[in-house]
Amino acid sequence: MKAAQFEHHEPTTVEEAVSLIESLDEPTILAGGQSLVPMMRFRLARPETVVDLNGIDELDYLQEADGYLKLGALARHADVEESSLIDRQYGSFADTAPLVADPQIRNRGTVVGSIAQSDPKGDWGTVLLAHEGEVVAHGPGGERTIPADEFFLLPYDNTLAEDELITEVRVPTSGDDEGSAYHKLKRKVGDYAMAGSAARVVLDGGRITDATVALTAVDITNVSVPDAADHLEGERPSGDLFKQAGELAAEHANPESDEHGSAEYKRNMVRVLTQRALADATERASNDGPAARYGTDQMAVGD
Amino acid sequence: MSSDTREKPDAKYRHDEDGGPDPEEHGGHGRGGMGEEVKRKEDRRFITGRGNYVDDVKKDGMLHCEVVRSPHAHAEVKNIKTERAEAMDGVVAVLTAEDLEAYDLATMPTLMDDTQEVLVKDKVKFQSQEVAAVIAEDRYLAKDGAEKVQVNYDSREPVVDAETAKREDAPVVREDIDQESNHIFTWETGDEAATREAFEAADVTVEEDMYYQRLHPAPIETCGCVADWDQDNEKMTVHMTSQAPHAHRTLFSMVSGIPEHKVRIVSPDVGGGFGNKVPIYPGYVIAAAASYVLEQPVKWVEERSENIQTTSFARDYDMTGRIAATEDGEITAVDVDVLANHGAYNAAAQPSKFPAGFFKIFTGSYDIDAAHGELEAYYTNTAPGGIAYRCSFRVTEAVYLIERMVKVLAQELDMDPAEVRRKNFIPEDAFPYESATGWTYDSGDYHRALDKALESTNYHDLREEQQRRIEKDDDKLLGIGLSTFTEIVGAGPGKQCDIAGVEMFDSAEIRLHPTGKATVRIGVQTQGQGHETTFAQIVAEELGLDVDDVQVEHGDTDTEPYGLGTYASRSTPVGGAATAVAARKVREKAKSIAANELEVAEEDVVWDRESGQFHVQGVPEQSLSIADIAGASYMNSPPDQEPGLEAVDYYDPPNMTFPFGAYVCVVEVDRETGEVDIRKFYALDDCGNRINPMVVEGQIHGGLAQGIGTAMMEHVSYDDNGNVTAGDFMNYLLPTAMEIPEMETDYTVTPSPHHPIGAKGVGESPTVGSPPAIVNAVVDAMEHAGVSHVDMPMTPDRVWGKLEEAGLAKDPAEDLELDIDGEEAAGD
Repeated sequence: MKAAQFEHHEPTTVEEAVSLIESLDEPTILAGGQSLVPMMRFRLARPETVVDLNGIDELDYLQEADGYLKLGALARHADVEESSLIDRQYGSFADTAPLVADPQIRNRGTVVGSIAQSDPKGDWGTVLLAHEGEVVAHGPGGERTIPADEFFLLPYDNTLAEDELITEVRVPTSGDDEGSAYHKLKRKVGDYAMAGSAARVVLDGGRITDATVALTAVDITNVSVPDAADHLEGERPSGDLFKQAGELAAEHANPESDEHGSAEYKRNMVRVLTQRALADATERASNDGPAARYGTDQMAVGD
Repeated sequence: MSSDTREKPDAKYRHDEDGGPDPEEHGGHGRGGMGEEVKRKEDRRFITGRGNYVDDVKKDGMLHCEVVRSPHAHAEVKNIKTERAEAMDGVVAVLTAEDLEAYDLATMPTLMDDTQEVLVKDKVKFQSQEVAAVIAEDRYLAKDGAEKVQVNYDSREPVVDAETAKREDAPVVREDIDQESNHIFTWETGDEAATREAFEAADVTVEEDMYYQRLHPAPIETCGCVADWDQDNEKMTVHMTSQAPHAHRTLFSMVSGIPEHKVRIVSPDVGGGFGNKVPIYPGYVIAAAASYVLEQPVKWVEERSENIQTTSFARDYDMTGRIAATEDGEITAVDVDVLANHGAYNAAAQPSKFPAGFFKIFTGSYDIDAAHGELEAYYTNTAPGGIAYRCSFRVTEAVYLIERMVKVLAQELDMDPAEVRRKNFIPEDAFPYESATGWTYDSGDYHRALDKALESTNYHDLREEQQRRIEKDDDKLLGIGLSTFTEIVGAGPGKQCDIAGVEMFDSAEIRLHPTGKATVRIGVQTQGQGHETTFAQIVAEELGLDVDDVQVEHGDTDTEPYGLGTYASRSTPVGGAATAVAARKVREKAKSIAANELEVAEEDVVWDRESGQFHVQGVPEQSLSIADIAGASYMNSPPDQEPGLEAVDYYDPPNMTFPFGAYVCVVEVDRETGEVDIRKFYALDDCGNRINPMVVEGQIHGGLAQGIGTAMMEHVSYDDNGNVTAGDFMNYLLPTAMEIPEMETDYTVTPSPHHPIGAKGVGESPTVGSPPAIVNAVVDAMEHAGVSHVDMPMTPDRVWGKLEEAGLAKDPAEDLELDIDGEEAAGD
């Protein structure tokens, strides 16, 4: 790595971090370095100052509290992957964690960092949207929360103010009648998604009372698909219903062609992945079927 | 190429009086001889992180070089402003073409006798081409300085692919050599008239277009060097990532004008080469020129993306294959047309008399009477190359063509592809076999290999499973792919094969010390193949020594005998032969010393390979080991002999060797996403006598991984503007352990009749042989719906496109069975 010169700061409290961010000129935040470090290596990012959060122990948590599943800014992908709480209740999180990058990167990269990066190819933004979660930000004026569907603006851009720091992301706790899942298509381990789809359903009396569908890598941000959610709500789960929801998701997607796949292919895969995610989410909500055992069954070719 | 044994001095040692080693029968002598699974001597330093690579070389006062590269694929250089960079603290010098011209180093010859700019003065011809270089006190400062060099370009329309380059109105890439078009050469082989006749008379003909995509060898260690000009001794020492140190010394001397005895190339540990480190690159010349001018050591090490974007690529052959056959599947002729993209320079690395490498091996393992091939090569605004990426020069393309075409024929005839192969194999008793394109195959037993492969993989059960899945409308289709390839490795012979005029022999020097230990110096250069172990085993075998008593040295041109390097699987066929012959020369002298010691006539002394000793004929207890004789050669030398015990051999092979294999690949194709899961890969390789079966197996594992990368993932792609769109590991996808399936290796042994130890090469067989097996498997899975080809890399997108077209694509919800509890559910 031949990065340009930069200044490195290592605060130990949130308060200290916030005041550093306020006082420095255009500081860049470093948590796991999953995206920032390669960008610095390519000199696509040339921060003059870097505020490194790794010394702030109070941000290292993953817990249920106050009706939320909360992830602090230092919760690593590996923490999610290894959490028994996640494994019992949060299918989409359990699916996503082992599909992010590779094991070495998962030991450092953070969920909050991924959401702050706001790369439309990032997986966690989709999961956050599917769970109708929130971003907790600290700035000079104190703390505020931003709902997931108001957070993402453009590729690598969001509604966080320049002097704000994300300290936490959170989603409402999942009840026993709720199930969620995430399916991601990629060409090899460690790769970005060509397309990804998260689904969450709540069942009551054999009908879907609440549903969300959100997508990865097929628009300028992670996006949710309200049409699909509307279509699902109030209906009994079935193959036909999920097929229609998949088609609505595919219509909603705006993928672009690249060297890994054409726009047409990605749109078709949104349809397929949404069906798969809905089927798994439903199995988990009804606590019946292979997906109800939790964890991902998706691995790269040759697993 | 004739199989006649040339009358060279080493010919008399080629066949040993005791019949030579037979590791399958005897399995070595128990002290690390032929056929024994000796643990690799080099691994201790590698696995403990103590390897010594070029980037580990640090010298006092060493400066660092960063190359300024063009963002354009095709552009005039209007001017270069270096002042801002030169004014920076820590920047020592900025070099441009004008500076190099003063030393006549602004251009360099390629291995195919083209001329490439070291730094561009007039016109950039591919993206990331070298335009200027910054020399600074550390590598960060060098990079900072490179950002401050201002180059003004006037961009021109680029030509990116061979099909476009061919057009009359295409932009011309090479005005510098007065080219009026982009055409480089036409190459032809075989008998066109006989082939045409066979096609006209044929019951059945098939044709298929296939593109062997542009690949990059992508060694994990990129290219680099540390050049160190010693003004006091007027000597240039270059530590460099070289697969061919001696050839590079000669080239360095020719390009720089520094006398060859004042040039020393050291190739320390090399982190993978795969053909990428055979050519000379501008960075080496820049570093050497900078060191010469500044009289300080200069290090240049590529970044990953520089390696992929600018150093030699492989393949990029657009091929059309045709086969003529009888209705019962006997192939009567094969015909092939190739459109080759060579990039901005003709910079392939191959014997200079073979502009299309050994591509004419495209008749494969089959006895085909008529064959014809034609190839047109073009310049484009892409990085130069066309090197042999883990294969003998263009054999990979040839094997892919014929192994795919045999499958296409089987499909047309509705025959089992194994049956078509059997019908056409060159029979065992036909060796040495003269092919229709003029090769002499040394040995082979293709039926035995295929039979063993089919039996080991329960081929018939797999076929049944495949049918069952089709009948059940399963979500996943099963495909079974075969490849029964023949490789051609081990260039020379020197009369046919050369690098920059130097004949492709190789060498070994063996010195026995008074205490009976041996030092072996070889002309070939390991990049991970395990020479330090396997070459020691050859000497241990031939001299009856313990393998631990043999030290192998390589990679320093000041001490090693001249060799042509390691690529094209030539180390064992050529360097290994030289080592065996040198050992036999040592043994010959040792015999006369033994006679003197045992006080008998020389003809009464016999060598016993099992015990590794000489003894008096009929009196095995009167014996002497080579170690005993080594001592005697220094301490009690016979009156009619020179003291000491050593020999050197420069071995010019009489022919290539022709390893072969039978591969079976089993895939599952996901009808919902087009993803391909390689369920199993079975590889049977016949490389003749095996020196170290464990090392052979390791080579095959690595080569299969690269073959899987080729078939499934890798492609150096460009957009229409000539921008490299897969110029880093984010987009140029290399397989990892996660993408590698269960691999099963197997073997048969058909020794090479002309090689001193009956060995052939093996390192490249899996890279060459596996891609068609994988493509055949994927096609096989969809064949019942009419799919006949999928181009590589077989991305999920491409495969899904074929599924959709063939009506095989499926939605997951189609078969969805949900069991939802609930009041209403019960009523339905």
